[in-house]
Amino acid sequence: MSLPPSVIEYLQSDFVNESRPFCFLVDSDFRLVDSWGDGDWSGLASADVGANMLDHAPFLLGALGSDPQKLSFISTGDGAVVHLITMPHQDGHYAIVLDAGQEHDFRQEKQQSANELRLLHGSQRKLIARQRDLIAELVEAKAELDHHRRDIERSSANKSRFIAMMSHEFRTPLASIINYADLALEPGSGPADIQKSIEAISRSGRHLTSLVDAVLDEARLDAGQIQLRERDFDLFELLDDLAAMMAPLAAEKGLSFATLVDPDVPHKVRADDVCLRQILINLLGNAVKFTQEGSIRLYLTYNDGRLVATVSDTGPGISVADQERVFRAFERGTDRDGSLRGAGLGLTITLQLAKLMRGEISLDSLPGQGCTVSVHVPMAIAEGGAVDDALSPPEEATYATQSKTVLVCDDDEDMLALLEHYLHRAGYALIAASSGTEAVEKAVNYKPDIVLMDVNVPGMSGIDAALALRDQKYAGPIVALTASKLSDDEKNSFTRCFRKPAQMQQLLLEIKDLTHNPES
Amino acid sequence: MTMITSKVCIVGDFAVGKTSVVERFVNNQFSEKYLTTIGVKVDTKEIDLPHSGVQLKLILWDVAGSDQFGETEFAYLRGASGHIFVADGTRPATLGTVQKLGVRIDERYGRKPSVLLINKHDLSDAWDVTEQIIEELKTDFDALFLTSAKTGADVENALTRLAELIIDQTLADQQ
Repeated sequence: MSLPPSVIEYLQSDFVNESRPFCFLVDSDFRLVDSWGDGDWSGLASADVGANMLDHAPFLLGALGSDPQKLSFISTGDGAVVHLITMPHQDGHYAIVLDAGQEHDFRQEKQQSANELRLLHGSQRKLIARQRDLIAELVEAKAELDHHRRDIERSSANKSRFIAMMSHEFRTPLASIINYADLALEPGSGPADIQKSIEAISRSGRHLTSLVDAVLDEARLDAGQIQLRERDFDLFELLDDLAAMMAPLAAEKGLSFATLVDPDVPHKVRADDVCLRQILINLLGNAVKFTQEGSIRLYLTYNDGRLVATVSDTGPGISVADQERVFRAFERGTDRDGSLRGAGLGLTITLQLAKLMRGEISLDSLPGQGCTVSVHVPMAIAEGGAVDDALSPPEEATYATQSKTVLVCDDDEDMLALLEHYLHRAGYALIAASSGTEAVEKAVNYKPDIVLMDVNVPGMSGIDAALALRDQKYAGPIVALTASKLSDDEKNSFTRCFRKPAQMQQLLLEIKDLTHNPES
Repeated sequence: MTMITSKVCIVGDFAVGKTSVVERFVNNQFSEKYLTTIGVKVDTKEIDLPHSGVQLKLILWDVAGSDQFGETEFAYLRGASGHIFVADGTRPATLGTVQKLGVRIDERYGRKPSVLLINKHDLSDAWDVTEQIIEELKTDFDALFLTSAKTGADVENALTRLAELIIDQTLADQQ
């Protein structure tokens, strides 16, 4: 179809009216050669022939190629928006600029909305992500709180187990004390029975003391603050003590008890005997407690400077799942019906004590097949024959060689009587006081050579009494003998401090040293 | 001083601040209002480079923001002597856009001097760009600047650096 001139004229007129084309020809140096059309709207029509068109239409740079091309929506510095069509012509280019202002504004309005919407969605996504992060943080915080709550609950449960532990750890020596006391009190008991009973009571009492220390120091044990107190001792005497303590308990349940010692095990060794004693008492006590029939064996070997003490029983055994747990503080094993299998601290203390002794513990057990626990600890053979003997009676070395007077202040009549017995036997004259005030008065009046002072006494405390004595110019030594733990400041009030129950031999030696050698 | 005229194109995702960067560089102005660019905005700015003995007239083509280029957009870039890539530090995706565009433009027109501007540094508290990413991006461009069209921070430095790179390249090409 060919268009009639009127239609063509209309279309051309409409295009020219809408697009306001401006055409110009530039040479290869962008110099204006000629132009056509109304270019006022574009700011380009002011250029004279020969002008550098890059100054008027900088967008020409890079836009003139070897082929015709169109670049749409070029915003010029003059505020116009043009479509640029370029066509190569001889050495130069024709350039046609069309007014694209209206179309640009229409497109910009649409694109602006679309872009703002995308930005909004982006912000929303960020907010949602942040919200998700916050929720995750909240969930984490809640989990942490739950964890702390469980810790608190566990701590609370541990308190209950602690009571059970007290029963577990203390019952064994207490049972020994009670049973031997009953034995001694039986009408038919002879001197040998009474002597044997008192020795057993003494041993168990000392072990109870060490247990009290262990319980009180448990926190320090956890923190690794307990230090080994190594000394030379007779390992076989310790084994005899253990056998004397455990055999009656095993016999009560109809269990056989035997201690087997390898010939290579030395008699005199150097180690922390309190630690070792407690480890073995814990293991043997557990064995006796959980074994209903059969036997308990304690077997010792010594090799390459290491003592291996193995306690085996014919009890119910411990499942593999429980074997790790039973060594954790206040944890205990359970058997299938969930019944109590342990107090919760005995094996923990045992493990910690073994570690303290630079040793280790191994456990071999299966349900229904008994339990074997081995303690491996390094242990040196004692040099020389001298062995400390905590149970030795006071020796003559402790006796006073000069006439000396001791003022003893204690509100416990039994303790006062006990001190009076030992001090009289060691040759001291005694002045007794049952309160701090009475002690100060008597010390000022009678001027004893030494004052032995309990701290927790009625009225004026032992510490205040010591300070009062110093104020009254009392110059003799003042020794604290107390069950309380004194602070460093409180200790400064005294010449020496002893913790009850004190080793009587040591106390007497100290009293002798302070009274006979005042310079010391 | 010798006068050299070079075409430089500014590209990057939409709303990263390309037009604001140009406005800050050319007229030292900034507007908070976001106005999307359609097509391309052309501006000029002359820079003196005394060390090179050159006065460089930059013809700046501020190309409409897009995360992908078609023939229309590539046509704008013809004859450019260098590129300014702009990303928004608060929108990590726009860093991916400039990396992708950089690769495609290099493929189309060959490697040209380029600088990357991670813009909106005045909002650095809201940035979501790690140091590790910044270090990685440094290897993709000749220089990287943390800019703020709002405060003007490092805008002039970035464009001056690009101008120096273009001059170095131009002089090297002439030799």
